[in-house]
Amino acid sequence: MVKLITHNLLCCHARGCNYPDNFPLTFKDVTQLEVREADYNAEFLQKMMPRLEWKALVDTAKELGDTSLPAEMPEGDAVDEEFLRRLHHVLLEVHVEEGAMYCPKCEHKYPILQGIPNMLLAEHEISR
Amino acid sequence: MALAPHNTSQLEALHRDPALHESTYVHAVYDSIADHFSQTRYKPWPIIAAFLASLAPGSIGLDSGCGNGKYLPLDQGGKIMLVGLDRSLGLLAHAQWAGGKERHVVRGDVMNVCWRPGAFDFAISIATIHHLCTLERRRQAVQALLQAVSSSDGRVLIYVWATEQDELSKRIVPVDPEKAGEKVQDVFVPWKKAAVQRANGAGTETETETELHQRYYHLFTKDELGDLVREAAKCLGLHILQGEDSSESNGLRIVQEGWERSNWYIELLLTTAGA
Repeated sequence: MVKLITHNLLCCHARGCNYPDNFPLTFKDVTQLEVREADYNAEFLQKMMPRLEWKALVDTAKELGDTSLPAEMPEGDAVDEEFLRRLHHVLLEVHVEEGAMYCPKCEHKYPILQGIPNMLLAEHEISR
Repeated sequence: MALAPHNTSQLEALHRDPALHESTYVHAVYDSIADHFSQTRYKPWPIIAAFLASLAPGSIGLDSGCGNGKYLPLDQGGKIMLVGLDRSLGLLAHAQWAGGKERHVVRGDVMNVCWRPGAFDFAISIATIHHLCTLERRRQAVQALLQAVSSSDGRVLIYVWATEQDELSKRIVPVDPEKAGEKVQDVFVPWKKAAVQRANGAGTETETETELHQRYYHLFTKDELGDLVREAAKCLGLHILQGEDSSESNGLRIVQEGWERSNWYIELLLTTAGA
């Protein structure tokens, strides 16, 4: 259950990788994608929007086959219920259950097994 | 229950290969007691519940060392969100559905920063850093928390077990024979798992066997958590701000610190210069 809201926070942390070159991770080998309903909370969505890396979210959703989000993050009146429902769906209801995420820079592979992304690295791979 | 101090050879092993020590006495233990551990439920400590309730709606937080996810359901009715990070897959399997709803969990190490810098509004680390067995590793875990939250207004809450245990904890911390009057800090805490039930003879009676697991803990003395935070801040070039100090440098304010129910805690606030 890697949801896109979690994916939007994750970065590669291998030695030599630094933000922003290590973001966003790229989904590959996705063999199981599920849509499950989640509780909708308009206030949460509205207030957390500035936290998102919008372009990364839109591009990643597209790669997974969802093109419902606008290229630019809406502001003001454009943040209406219809938009928030779409955002809710993309961020919280699309789950990658099996597959992997790859660093766009060093191509390190972070596998997703039974919905849990594995971000562990071996000691010698870690950047400090 | 008296906690067992490390003997000389165990202390040597700990310092020779801290990662192996944690792997044996923390990660492997939690993986094998995960199911049993998750049946024991506690109420959240009042200061943790109050901290989570005080967050602005829309806040996104990291629960670093989330274990079975007991704090993940405290999302204030969906107004905030918590992402749980842990190394134990056994515990994450519980955390994934903590409180009967799907949660956000990631497998990883609390000393690493696998997030965009400052991605979170807040971070909590409850009863986790005391499982790291050297000062450097504990400092790294604090640094990872400070790097995970926003440098302009990120909030952090850390809890660790104290050498000062109250009567409710039923744990007795022995005095260090090497240092007069001081308590030992590197200890094993037993976990008894009465799990194996076998049919006896005709199959009518059952016998319960007890499995004993030893978990590694580093118990914190008074001021040790504050000192650790100050050192982590220094490594990141963050000044400790006091009183009305709003100097030019990026800083860290200690909002509150103290002792609650056999734990030391500290709450921190990051601020940006000129803010």
